[in-house]
Amino acid sequence: MFNGIKKIVNMLTLSELRSGMKITAKELVNTKITVQYPEEKTPISPRFRGLHALRRYPNGEERCIACKLCEAVCPANAITIESEMREDGTRRTTQYDIDLFKCIFCGFCEEACPVDAIVETQIFEYAFESRDGSIMTKDRLLEVGDNNEQAISKARSEDSKYR
Amino acid sequence: MIVEIEIDGKLINANTGEMVIAVTDREGISVPRFCYHKKLSISASCRMCLVDVEGAPKPQPACSTPVAEGMKIHTQNEKAIASQKAVMEFLLINHPLDCPICDQGGECELQDVAIEYGSDVSRFSEGKRIVAPSDIGPLIQTDMTRCIHCTRCVRFGSEIAGIMEMGATGRGEELKIEPFLAEGITSELSGNMIDVCPVGALTSKPFRYELRSWQMSSVENIARHDLVGSNLYAQTYKGNVKRVVSGDNDAVNETWISDRDRFSYEGLTHENRLLFPQIKVEGQWKEVEWDVALDFAIKGLNNNILNSRNLAKLGGLASNTATIEELHLMQKLLREMGCENIDHRLNVKDLNNTMHLKSTIKLIELESVDHALVIGANLRLEQPMINHRLRKAQLSGANITTLNVKDFDFNYKVDSHITSPNEIANTLAGVLKTLIDKTKQEFPEYLSDVIPSEHSVTLANNLLEANNSVLILGEHLINNAQASSISNLTAEIAKLTNSSTLNLTATANSLGAQQVNFMPNSQGMNANEMLDADMRAFILLDIYPEYDFHHSAAALNALSSDDVFVISLNSFGSELVSQYSDVMLPMAAMFETSGTHMNINGKAQSFRASVGAPGEAKPAWKILKVLADLLELPSFHYENSTQVMSEVAHQSIQTHEYDASIDLSKQTVTLETIWMHSPYQSDVLLRHAKSLNASQIGQMNTASMSVTTAQSLSLNNKDTYLGVPVEIDSIMADQCVFVNSNQATNAGGSQ
Repeated sequence: MFNGIKKIVNMLTLSELRSGMKITAKELVNTKITVQYPEEKTPISPRFRGLHALRRYPNGEERCIACKLCEAVCPANAITIESEMREDGTRRTTQYDIDLFKCIFCGFCEEACPVDAIVETQIFEYAFESRDGSIMTKDRLLEVGDNNEQAISKARSEDSKYR
Repeated sequence: MIVEIEIDGKLINANTGEMVIAVTDREGISVPRFCYHKKLSISASCRMCLVDVEGAPKPQPACSTPVAEGMKIHTQNEKAIASQKAVMEFLLINHPLDCPICDQGGECELQDVAIEYGSDVSRFSEGKRIVAPSDIGPLIQTDMTRCIHCTRCVRFGSEIAGIMEMGATGRGEELKIEPFLAEGITSELSGNMIDVCPVGALTSKPFRYELRSWQMSSVENIARHDLVGSNLYAQTYKGNVKRVVSGDNDAVNETWISDRDRFSYEGLTHENRLLFPQIKVEGQWKEVEWDVALDFAIKGLNNNILNSRNLAKLGGLASNTATIEELHLMQKLLREMGCENIDHRLNVKDLNNTMHLKSTIKLIELESVDHALVIGANLRLEQPMINHRLRKAQLSGANITTLNVKDFDFNYKVDSHITSPNEIANTLAGVLKTLIDKTKQEFPEYLSDVIPSEHSVTLANNLLEANNSVLILGEHLINNAQASSISNLTAEIAKLTNSSTLNLTATANSLGAQQVNFMPNSQGMNANEMLDADMRAFILLDIYPEYDFHHSAAALNALSSDDVFVISLNSFGSELVSQYSDVMLPMAAMFETSGTHMNINGKAQSFRASVGAPGEAKPAWKILKVLADLLELPSFHYENSTQVMSEVAHQSIQTHEYDASIDLSKQTVTLETIWMHSPYQSDVLLRHAKSLNASQIGQMNTASMSVTTAQSLSLNNKDTYLGVPVEIDSIMADQCVFVNSNQATNAGGSQ
């Protein structure tokens, strides 16, 4: 009985319409959050797990020491490593492949790496046009690392206090 | 006596004198340890195995605490765990955190125990100790900074290998484990140090930085380089053998393997491997498909032998490293064709004068002899695992006497008698005469002219004093002018003194070859006769004439003749093989084929293939089976090598009649050359193993002779004898040259 009267009053005073129009009116003056991708981009967390890269030390020496922990921890078996002794007696990879078709971007490789060599960058825009493009070879990984070292180290340092 | 003890609340029976750790190991109770090893002495230096013994004021090391009646031990209580954790913390003070680049990572005892007992954070902020690495040879890589001073390698050297090459120098912080000499490690068992090292201080050099232990699969296999048949694991990755580690078998090799068993796998990937079937057309080699090559082989056999039914002119020779299955199928193939010219004894000068003594002692029993007479053998290098057993016997008090041309380096105390090769038979005859003299029996006629020398009397007395002695005949005697007499004299002496015998001249799988009767019967020709018989065709199984034949020049002649059709089954290509062969069929090498090896005790050990053969190579038993099918021979219906072996097992063994006569008047040569391949050249796989051949033993290349011999040959230290550098040895018998060489025998084979 009481509910029926309330319903009729609401209907006559257009209260639902007014509350809807209130939000519309508020959003008319509010700043917009729509991002005009690709001209504009959203901010990305330093922990974002995008395309992989192999890093180098500032002196140009590759970080990777072929410990194969990333290969061992990879749940998708996406990483293939072959190693040998380089001429200077250090332990180095001769092959370091990541198959992006297999990779599930879990970030375990990054976590297992004792020397921060393999990292997942904030790059998410990558595409390839042939099937073999899915294999990130050692050269391509190092190239990604070389081209994005600044962004990578910035992301690492931002995240370092939480590690 | 049996005592009852209590470990972690469980009542357990133990033998008095046993250490606590032996009991916990048997009962499956885990106690962490680094320095304890069941085959080495106890040093109790790492303190990792501390356990709480009720009544003792402090925790006790389980490895050096003998059990006692009513002892109550806690391995997991607060006190035990606290002390183990404390020890772990001390061990980790100086151990570097370089697991990611350490080859031991993943199979490291320290790593495993640290997960359980180590702390996350080190309280040690001072500098860590660094030890400069030392180069100890081409087989073992050292990273001594990682060493935790367990001294297993030092104890292995002094107790098992018999040469204390590694030692601890300095004290406290300065303590270092390092080789005493700049030459590094030269022992023939050195590779076992890699296995005993609990950390990454000693790792395999050829394997360095290649793979992680978890990437490989371990496959059981049998070493076929010698007559022991050591059990081992081939660790494989992507179809290649990447490393070999020892297997456990107390009756064969305990837990040790020789370096040649451990590192021979390197030869498998050598660029000389024969990968494709090849046929020779108008003098040119052509790589062809299998069916073409096999048809070509059959056509050649038809043209040269079968069409004219001239089977007496067909010969089959095999290397004694072949498996029983291969040898059985090959002799069956030849015999069913009607050919009796079958032999595997290629390195014997005179096949009517051979060593055919039976071996009557088990390997494990060698440890308990109280006297051994070693004749014509440099045991340490030629049969390392047998030498190891004999060494154990000597250490527990046995008296080892040697009768050799040279004062060889034994790694235990021996009573060495230097005798020239043509005196050995006489010396043994003297021993026999002395023995018969003591029993007041009648002399056989051949002993009537023998006057026992001083040597002989000593040897005879030694034999009489012993209760449990063994007579060992070595490979140096194979080509002795009186080989057969020596063998028969030894048998007589053994009979008279109740001794056991061990005949080491049947190397590799020779006993297996005898088992399947891979020898000519009375109508057939033996290997040496075949070489002079103007044959028309040969089937050869893994033969490399420059190394395998005693008469290598004659062999090359016989094989190279224009009208001889030669079918070669080879695992490796070689210049000489391609010179004389008409078809080369690539076969699987050791580790790549299934088969059976028979060791000196007649123990047949079967193994599976650890990896596939490279290229188009096939297991030899399959090649032989298909050849038989193409020749339309019946009863070659095998699906696997196990069926071949079960056929062999159901076959009765043919016994051969040997000449049991002893003739001491036989003319002896004035200068005898004993040609031994260096231990790492004894079969084709070893010859292609890079690291082994770079090691000191692999580099051995000397022709030893006495001063008198050198003078009579007018040679001095700078000269060469048959292409081998001369070494004048002051303690050496006259009238003989002992060659230990890594070269082919074609220079000296016809001697």
